Amino acid sequence: MTALARLLAALFSRPATLAMMAATALGYALLFLWLSGDIAGGGRGDVRLSITAWHRMFESRGPLRFEPVGLVELGPWVWTLSPLDTLIALGLGLLLGGNLAGLWLSRRAPAACPRRAPASGGLAALPALLAGGACCAPLLVVWLGLPIAGGLAVLAPWLIPLAYLALLLGLVRLAVWREQQRHQARGGGR
Amino acid sequence: MMARALLTVILGLSLLLAGAAASWAAAPPTLSDPQVPLAHSLAAFRQAVRPGGPGKDGIPAIDRPRFVSASEADAWLASGDRVIGLYRDGEARAYPQRVLVWHEIVNDVVAGESLAITYCPLTGSALGFRRGDSEFGVSGRLLNSNLVMYDRATDSEWPQLLGVAIDGSLVGRGLVPERLVWTTWEAWRARHPGTRVLSRDTGYVRNYRRDPYGDYNPVAGYYRPESRRLFPVMAEDTRLPPKAMVLAFREAEGAAAVSLPALREAGMVRLTLGERAYAYVVIHDPELDTGWVFRTSAGQAIDPASLRFGPGGVSGPGIEALEPVNAFQVMWFAWAGFHPDTLLVGEGGVP
Repeated sequence: MTALARLLAALFSRPATLAMMAATALGYALLFLWLSGDIAGGGRGDVRLSITAWHRMFESRGPLRFEPVGLVELGPWVWTLSPLDTLIALGLGLLLGGNLAGLWLSRRAPAACPRRAPASGGLAALPALLAGGACCAPLLVVWLGLPIAGGLAVLAPWLIPLAYLALLLGLVRLAVWREQQRHQARGGGR
Repeated sequence: MMARALLTVILGLSLLLAGAAASWAAAPPTLSDPQVPLAHSLAAFRQAVRPGGPGKDGIPAIDRPRFVSASEADAWLASGDRVIGLYRDGEARAYPQRVLVWHEIVNDVVAGESLAITYCPLTGSALGFRRGDSEFGVSGRLLNSNLVMYDRATDSEWPQLLGVAIDGSLVGRGLVPERLVWTTWEAWRARHPGTRVLSRDTGYVRNYRRDPYGDYNPVAGYYRPESRRLFPVMAEDTRLPPKAMVLAFREAEGAAAVSLPALREAGMVRLTLGERAYAYVVIHDPELDTGWVFRTSAGQAIDPASLRFGPGGVSGPGIEALEPVNAFQVMWFAWAGFHPDTLLVGEGGVP
């Protein structure tokens, strides 16, 4: 736990890693919301915001998917705004950003041992991109026309929790690796 | 002590019975002997049900539909946009596909009759059913890629294309169908200038300008005839491309599908079903681009030139004496999944 706290402190105290995490969180959230259908085309060039259904904020429409409360129109884009979907997307993006920034940090530090920092954390963000989608199938599957929606639908309830767990594990592995590096460096210095 | 326990048991049983009686009283009107040929046992259908992704009511039915006039709808419906039309006792309603793709079921009341207007985007099928005092909802499950509905009175499960309960207390019973028409907004508006149109003010926030699966105007994405289905089916039939739209109907003696290009070209198709060779006539409606099906006797003459098309469908000499049969448009792969023994008219050309 201390190792993870140290890594987080390092990530949040440096402007470069902080910027990397913020940019990744935003980019991933936009991608997630686009692939889950919350952000889509259909805008008519206007800028418009209408919030009409706050009372539906906590209504579920699928595993870890919640009802939109309003519509944001921005140029050609329409965002059916679900605050909880957005929070989930930003949370995943932040964890992905933490993994990427942590990896960058560890690659920049002078290596005390030949073993490289674990780099698989970023892949953990992929399953969640298949979680959302059309009424009955992930949008990627619809667009690609793959007859695998039946199998994915069985996994659907687990995809987002799985992504969260895998991203957290990625961060923990990075933190442990950094701690081992610190110990190696201290041992070498004596 | 003993008497109190007995009283509690009796009270509990009475409450249970009262609850069951109340849900039965509110159950949708059903037929004990549905005129639907079942290619599989109900148990086999139950086993083939798959989760679709969203949970129960994750796709929310519209329970309090609002309507706008045709001229108001002109502002957001293009001429070629698909609508699901209903005409009953002088009332015409249009349910835009781009609204129904997000909700799949509208619990409506038309001309005093409580109806469920149902649409499954994955199988391109729009079917109407009488619902009595019950409402229908989306179970979030699929059978042969087709919407499985549930009724809120008894929680029985009804695959839309079958219209027969495969699970729950109404298992084996069939719903009473109501004819819907799959056509374009332009065609429906021309046939029914006074039609009311389902409003986008549904009580839910959705992007009604966009269909997550593709487009019908022009046909694109998931709706392309050659494109692949997404969910498994119980039977496959390659006589037509998977998503070619057919006009389909069935009665106890069998199921039939007529390919739409063939129907358009022929104008009228005659066919027989079952061992006793029941005869049917399918008449193409050139304005709505749909078909009207009637049970007929083999020698009964109908002159296509004398037919007229109006709000109630087709009319003309000899038509009034025929028995109308409910028909609907549906993607071929789904129809063949439920009815692998279906007759297909127009395979590879005009019959």
